[in-house]
Amino acid sequence: MNILYSSSGIVDYRHPVQGFRDMANAGLRQILLDISMFCSDNDLENYSKYTKIKSPDRVSPICTPQALLQRVEPLLEQCRRHSLSVDCLRIPHLPWDSKRTELNPVLEQIAESAIDLCGRIGCRYLIVPPLFAGIEKGQEWQANRGYYLRLAKTAQEQHVTLLLENQCRSYNGHLLRGNCTDAAETAEWIDRLNAEAAKQLHPSDNIFAEPATTFGLCLDTGICTLCGQNMQEFITTLGNRIKTVILRDSGRHTESSLLSFTSAYQGQSLTDWLGLIRGLREIHFDGSLILYFADTAAAFSPLLRPQLLPLAKSVAEYFKWQVEIEDLLKKYDSIVLFGAGNMCRNYMKCYGEQYPPLFTCDNNRTVWGTEFCGLEVKPPAVLQDLPDNCGIFICNIYYREIEQQLRDMGVGNIEFFNDEYMPSFHFDRLPVDN
Amino acid sequence: MISIGVQTKNIVDDHDPAEGYKLLKAVGFSCTDFSLNSYLTNTSLYKFERNDFFDRPIAELEQYFEPHKAGAKAAGIAIHQMHMPYPVYIPGGSGNLNGYLRDTVARKSLDICAFFECPYIVIHGFKLAHCLGSEEAEWTQTEKFLDYLAPLAKERNITLCIENLYYSIGDRLVEGPCCDAKKAAERIDRFNTRYHRELLGFCFDTGHANLTGIDFESFLTTLGDRLKVLHIHDNDGVCDLHQIPYTFTKTRENTSSTDWTGFLNGLKRIHFDRVLSFETAPVLSAFPEEMKIQALGFIADIGKYFAASITGNMSGPQETA
Repeated sequence: MNILYSSSGIVDYRHPVQGFRDMANAGLRQILLDISMFCSDNDLENYSKYTKIKSPDRVSPICTPQALLQRVEPLLEQCRRHSLSVDCLRIPHLPWDSKRTELNPVLEQIAESAIDLCGRIGCRYLIVPPLFAGIEKGQEWQANRGYYLRLAKTAQEQHVTLLLENQCRSYNGHLLRGNCTDAAETAEWIDRLNAEAAKQLHPSDNIFAEPATTFGLCLDTGICTLCGQNMQEFITTLGNRIKTVILRDSGRHTESSLLSFTSAYQGQSLTDWLGLIRGLREIHFDGSLILYFADTAAAFSPLLRPQLLPLAKSVAEYFKWQVEIEDLLKKYDSIVLFGAGNMCRNYMKCYGEQYPPLFTCDNNRTVWGTEFCGLEVKPPAVLQDLPDNCGIFICNIYYREIEQQLRDMGVGNIEFFNDEYMPSFHFDRLPVDN
Repeated sequence: MISIGVQTKNIVDDHDPAEGYKLLKAVGFSCTDFSLNSYLTNTSLYKFERNDFFDRPIAELEQYFEPHKAGAKAAGIAIHQMHMPYPVYIPGGSGNLNGYLRDTVARKSLDICAFFECPYIVIHGFKLAHCLGSEEAEWTQTEKFLDYLAPLAKERNITLCIENLYYSIGDRLVEGPCCDAKKAAERIDRFNTRYHRELLGFCFDTGHANLTGIDFESFLTTLGDRLKVLHIHDNDGVCDLHQIPYTFTKTRENTSSTDWTGFLNGLKRIHFDRVLSFETAPVLSAFPEEMKIQALGFIADIGKYFAASITGNMSGPQETA
């Protein structure tokens, strides 16, 4: 699984050096280059509305394909200088309440140019949001089918996968579910596009061959959140059609791009991260996680931003770790647990059968020699006599304290377990944790 | 023919039910949604507390509700639907409590429903996806519960109705049980095929759908004739406020932020001819007591407007946002 930064909110396209340096220093090597950095939804909406350009930074001509390509060059140069590769490019969409159907051809031109650009720089994915402005209800598939199939030929030539994206729609300001929010329907769109693209481009090919994957999905967690969707269901229905996941928290009731876990109320996250992790685990997701926190990054002082980026990276690594938790369990020939409380109990419920620990241990001497969830509870001292390649999984929230204790004992293979995002939970918790 | 209804809560009082039903009729309703859930509230159940209301033998409960039945009949109000107390299963609740909810409350709810000659009872599905790990596993438990009730419902000529619900994450409301119209339709069909009878139907809750960004028109169209019951109410897209339709706006243009056009188009497309039932009890606590009659009358008028729009007796809504 790859982890990418989105450039939005981090890089100022007029003075890009600092933003790219911050990203490079934070340790990630791949990025999503978001064209809406210099051609926002409102810029697009204003396209050709003005004859006199009063503020070149804000109005339309920057959204011409030529201008976009011109503006992206200095950014690509900075990528090269900082050894960052663009793994994903994203083209902008119109504002959710836009009715400017006549701009759809402009979006298509932008998409065409962006595909060429992807091919030139070796970028694998291009996020091309579905068209929606002015499209009649019920006509969404027809309108987008033609749009995507016209783009498919160039995409195949350039070895670029086009990613559709889940969208809101605005009903008098209320953001509701829009294109690609019905998982079953989206899966059908993608499968049909792939099949039709294959047929269109290679009509004489073996009809039994698997269609090429010209199309996939970029899942935007912010949109799922705004639309009140069950992310687990959404993800498991779409399966491996999901190629990238935009990780972002949304505002409480408005669209914004916040660093994951920062949108919270009374000690609880407002985003269904449990559903996301469960879903990605179920489909064995192996695509790209994109850190998209433009509003959080822009809100932080440029003085603080260099510290923010490594935190964001840790957040994505945490998601990756949660999704791939079973890989960690598989890594060892055997495992033992540290802790004989709720987390140990949760481990045994979800993983105990498939990855049975040799025993658990605990600092509480009163439980030594007893049995907990079918495991013998031993004193920590026994960890010094473990077989080779045996992992010690700390099942207690006082991770760092216990980790230090184990290090002081001179034992290795220390790992953390976490039960916040389990595949299932007990209906109750034990009253007292050890 | 489309009728207009509203829930009894905050209108019909146990001390003089006839008066409440008379009022309903006077302001323009012909049906009601009997708020059986008021007799054992969700707030107490979530605290693992219960009262002894449903401990009474069914004969005594029937005697208790006889003035309601007589009052409604005298006023010409049909008890079209009722709400079973909820939740019907409490995660973490004792076996005794959950057993009581199933074996006593649910069963007696059906008895009371039959006593009122009420054809539909709305049941909340189990909220267990968090613990069980998936929506599918959650539905399995709900289905077991429905299977338990099915023979009783069959005997009493009652259709059980599942409703689209939400979960709370932090203070954000997200889709919960029965929010996928295609799945709901398939499940209802499968259930009814097993019982060779229309024992299961759907209750579409506009407020819950609005909170979870659901496309009303598409949802209703997918449900088709499986839609038996409505809970009509409005909110700001954030909290479950149970207010009067067309109340909320989000832009300077001040046009309704709830897709009532989609709602009416959906009902029109499926040729809905049942009861437009409003679940707007909180409106009556929001308005002063002195304005209760006018507030109720206004709700009934909206119902009439809806009915006319659906049947085409006036120029109904066409535009889609």
